[in-house]
Amino acid sequence: MKRVLSSAVVGCVLVLMVVNGTSCGDAKNSPPRATPRDRQARLVKEHAVNPTAQPRIAFVTNGIAEFWVIAQRGAEQAGVDTGATVTVHMPAEGLADQKRMLEDLLAQGIDGIAVSPIDPTNQVEVLDQVARRTLLITHDSDAPASARLTYIGLDNYDAGRMAGKLVKEALPDGGEIAIFVGRLEQDNARRRRQGAVDEIFGRARDESRVEDPNTPMTVGKYTILNTLTDQFDRAKAKANVEDMMSANPNLACVVGLFTYNPVLALEALRGAGKIGKIKVVGFDEAPETLAGIRDGSVVGTVVQDPYNYGYRSMKLLDALCRGKADALPASGFVDIPAVTITPANVEAFEADLKKTLAGGAEKSAK
Amino acid sequence: MKKSIGIASILIAIIVATAILSPNFLTAYNIENLLRRTALFGILSVGVGFVILTAGIDLSIGGVVCLAGILTPYLLTQMGWSPTETVAMIVLMSIAIGVLQGGLVAYGRIQPFLVTLCGLLMFRGIARGITQDQTQGFQGQFQDLRWLGNGRISIPWVEHFAVPAPVLSLVIIAVLSMIFLNRTVWGRWMKALGRNPSAALHSGIPVARLQVLAYAICSLLAGYGGLLFVCDVGSAQPSDFGNFYELYAIAAAVLGGYRLAGGEGSVIGVIIGAAVMQVLRNAITLVPWLPDTAEFAVIGIVILIGVLGDEFLRRYAASRVRTQTKGIS
Amino acid sequence: MIESAPIVRCRGVGKRFAGVQALRGVDLDIRGGEILALIGANGAGKSTLMKILAGVIEHDSGEVHVDGVATRLRGVREAMRAGIALVHQELNLAENLDIASNIALGREPNRWGFLRGRDLNRQAREWMDRVGLEISADHAVESLSIGHRQMVEVAKALSMDARVLILDEPTSSLSMVETRRLLGLIRTLADQGVAVVYITHRLDEVMRCADRAVVLRDGAVTAEFSKTALNRDALVQAMVGTIRQVALAETALSDGAASARGQAAATVRLQVRGLRTMAHPSESIDLSIGKGEIVGLAGIVGAGRTEVLRSIFGIDRRLAGSVEIDGRALRGGRPAHATRAGIALVPEDRQRDGLFAEDSLCVNASIVRIARESMAGFIRTSAERAGVSRMIDLTRISPVRQERMARLFSGGNQQKIVLSKWLMSDPTVFLLDEPSRGVDIGARAEIHALIRESANRGAAVLCAVSDIEELLLLCDRIIVMRDGRITGELSAQDATEESITRLAVHEREECAA
Repeated sequence: MKRVLSSAVVGCVLVLMVVNGTSCGDAKNSPPRATPRDRQARLVKEHAVNPTAQPRIAFVTNGIAEFWVIAQRGAEQAGVDTGATVTVHMPAEGLADQKRMLEDLLAQGIDGIAVSPIDPTNQVEVLDQVARRTLLITHDSDAPASARLTYIGLDNYDAGRMAGKLVKEALPDGGEIAIFVGRLEQDNARRRRQGAVDEIFGRARDESRVEDPNTPMTVGKYTILNTLTDQFDRAKAKANVEDMMSANPNLACVVGLFTYNPVLALEALRGAGKIGKIKVVGFDEAPETLAGIRDGSVVGTVVQDPYNYGYRSMKLLDALCRGKADALPASGFVDIPAVTITPANVEAFEADLKKTLAGGAEKSAK
Repeated sequence: MKKSIGIASILIAIIVATAILSPNFLTAYNIENLLRRTALFGILSVGVGFVILTAGIDLSIGGVVCLAGILTPYLLTQMGWSPTETVAMIVLMSIAIGVLQGGLVAYGRIQPFLVTLCGLLMFRGIARGITQDQTQGFQGQFQDLRWLGNGRISIPWVEHFAVPAPVLSLVIIAVLSMIFLNRTVWGRWMKALGRNPSAALHSGIPVARLQVLAYAICSLLAGYGGLLFVCDVGSAQPSDFGNFYELYAIAAAVLGGYRLAGGEGSVIGVIIGAAVMQVLRNAITLVPWLPDTAEFAVIGIVILIGVLGDEFLRRYAASRVRTQTKGIS
Repeated sequence: MIESAPIVRCRGVGKRFAGVQALRGVDLDIRGGEILALIGANGAGKSTLMKILAGVIEHDSGEVHVDGVATRLRGVREAMRAGIALVHQELNLAENLDIASNIALGREPNRWGFLRGRDLNRQAREWMDRVGLEISADHAVESLSIGHRQMVEVAKALSMDARVLILDEPTSSLSMVETRRLLGLIRTLADQGVAVVYITHRLDEVMRCADRAVVLRDGAVTAEFSKTALNRDALVQAMVGTIRQVALAETALSDGAASARGQAAATVRLQVRGLRTMAHPSESIDLSIGKGEIVGLAGIVGAGRTEVLRSIFGIDRRLAGSVEIDGRALRGGRPAHATRAGIALVPEDRQRDGLFAEDSLCVNASIVRIARESMAGFIRTSAERAGVSRMIDLTRISPVRQERMARLFSGGNQQKIVLSKWLMSDPTVFLLDEPSRGVDIGARAEIHALIRESANRGAAVLCAVSDIEELLLLCDRIIVMRDGRITGELSAQDATEESITRLAVHEREECAA
């Protein structure tokens, strides 16, 4: 287990924040979105089960992806380590499906849920309902307006800025940039996009900034043409890149915000014979993206740490179930930061990844 | 051919409008993309045309595209099958799906809408089950097979333009379909069956067998289409690969002059119908002031206008025939 | 009867359809209390004239007076307000609704939009009693025989207070009993003052019940007969003119051919043993038909004749029994099997079951034949066209245009197209259900000639025919059915209207009739 932990997490330092949550908990550090401590403690007490019993906790994703399989490994490992019964649920059909899953879990009398809300602003009601009946934390994508106890994950805005930095490195002389994403209804997609845009344009941090994604913007030497969505239709995702190339002969860089976006951007570039001529910046660790980094067709990718989304959120829920309210971070946020993968560190990262997935297989073989 | 004039003029109108609004529309690269997408969706549409011809409907196309699309890389990379074995498996599986669904419709007398709706859910479910929801990709290999989907056939003395490989598949499929429908006994019977199923039965036409055949052709083309799609895209995710493709296919067939009541339709029309859909989607991205979010609205409006215009023309033509011949009765 | 002023008076009514003069100056008086028979060959203009009176189409020359006032009937509703109702040959009923709802359609008794079921049924009952429809008013129309549907149509017209009731070939699909009842009914209605216009091809009915007969030919009135002057030969003469006297010649022709076929009939071609149909599962049918023999199936509507034909061909499932052709059992229960074995069926409802209306004459005629002529499944277009061309010559379908859509042909020619479909494949067993329904007397003779021709080439012919005159004219032998059972068999020589009717009808019903 030690091996798994050390290999999977790059920003592992923050574990300390969780374990020593109380020590960092002075008022001036806690951001406004944190729920008052005493209310949290009361909630934990209310919902806590017998400390000696096996809590039943659930990990709910926002869809189906390899990314979540890695998170599943982490969540399951946490179950093995803590003795809690961990189940993982991946909604196939979006919002309604996720709501159904949450309701079903409540109906089962689950002891705690960690969820990645698909549409945090509009799901507040559902999330509050869950929070009333069980212990709720969010991961991957936060719903600050809801009564969730805490959020585990990366700050997507910061991750977006990391991608923006890669774009600036790839285009030191400026140029035309297009952004591709599955759908912009998701908070994480919106924040990633805004982070990238703000970084490229060299603007100060402002998470509340809202801009029309389809209006071309130029600041200095950089132009961001458009942000195209594909509703997870891969053929459409590829077509989007092709159409952007058609419409803009001077396109210099494409940014793919979801796992498959850089992969399909590469497909489109290959078809047009523009590999290397148009730069690709991606998110996540699809094998094709990593291969692209190795052969130079991809500038770099920003990866999250899904293993720890699973592992840490389950570990935390287990602790809360056993009544340990002090396991909660004072900031209301457990940061598991993203990492930039470039040709410099791609080999090491891949080796780690392989170990993680193999680790899961080993465990299940037992 | 005459029947396709309406839809062909819509296509031309959209092409002209987009060419005026976007200088990049008529570039070789964009045309290649459009040809490839039209071919991919056209294959599905030609297939569903056979079923619609017999007054049936096949909603399972999206499911079959998904199953074929994820099985292709799955069999190649996970199971280590050879490309020949894989293609053979996809073809056999698709035909089997069609025969099963057609059999339930023709011999089991179950409504095609129901049978194929269940098929749609089932095949996607099977795809997700087999792969445990894992994305299936070619991992950079099997370029020979993938040529079917993403290859280009260069034309001698033409430098910057090449014909996308799926166009070749579509042309072969379209020609075979037209020969089948217009030159063979079964084709003739299939059309007659759609026009008047009762008269077909009373003429000793093997109605049930022809229905099964229509579903088998449809599923075969859906499976082959799925294979081409994944060859083009490179990877497929079981949860959403091919989502809504049955509706795109049916819409293209109806735009192309197929009547859902059966008996009417032309292969050329269907392909033009598929082209209309693809050019529209392309135009929405290319024309700067068209918001991307309006995509489905624009497609819906254009289909509606197309079908309305077609119906208007049909009625106008029918009323002229009627006034000319009413005296004799 | 008092000579009253006419309700409707036509003066020089003309109608042109894109180059074809369908009506050329027709004069016609329609009087209350009178049954007016309107006869003429297909295409003579009867239907056009009646459609003008019923407001379906408008005339373009001449005048139509209703109650002495010149008017233009724009639309069916206007005609109905004037008291004119047309019962179409192709019945216009909502098949999924019940009888009562059909009769009241568009005028349902309601309170604030809610149907009043009891009133609906009571009112329907009155009209149904008036036309002698003795079944429950809540039967769905789709479950009714064509005969019953006809009566529902008449009841519906009456319920709209029609003073002029136009019946377009009302008896073409009715059995003898039903025909008699209908004729009795229109006599009663006429006595009550209704003007009945009766379009028919059956001259015996004209002779029996018309007060006056008007003959149309090529869009003009060629003759008018008062009741006392009615004469069969004169009627035919007026209808077909001097050129096409086929109908008159038919009687002579049938006598000669029948005796010639008598010899060949010795070898059995079609043998049916213990056939049980879905309609009459408890009855079992046995029959055998010789090579070249024409056997008629007589009986009232609902006697099970259609079901026997359909079961032999495989449209309906055979519950039990075997079908043998030339001593070899027919295998497989579907029409495709029967067709391959050489069985042909000309269905009763040619629009629904016989014709591909939107396809060309060529496609319709060759649809069965192409399978036999194909090379590895490919249609040999030249052979197809040549075959159809030969068949058009033989059947004298007009106009001679292979590419013309089937629905554009007249009724008689459409029936010839359906016959051609089977004649082209030279059937060994030829089943026909009302082969001359709704065709004029000239075309009927031609159709009979084609059936005889097929028999002469060795086919075993079994045809269900309701018109007794036609049965006697066409058949060598007549099998009579009642309630799904064969009740008797008569040779053509012995059969008379009386002997057939006695076998076809229950004693009780016969008395009533």
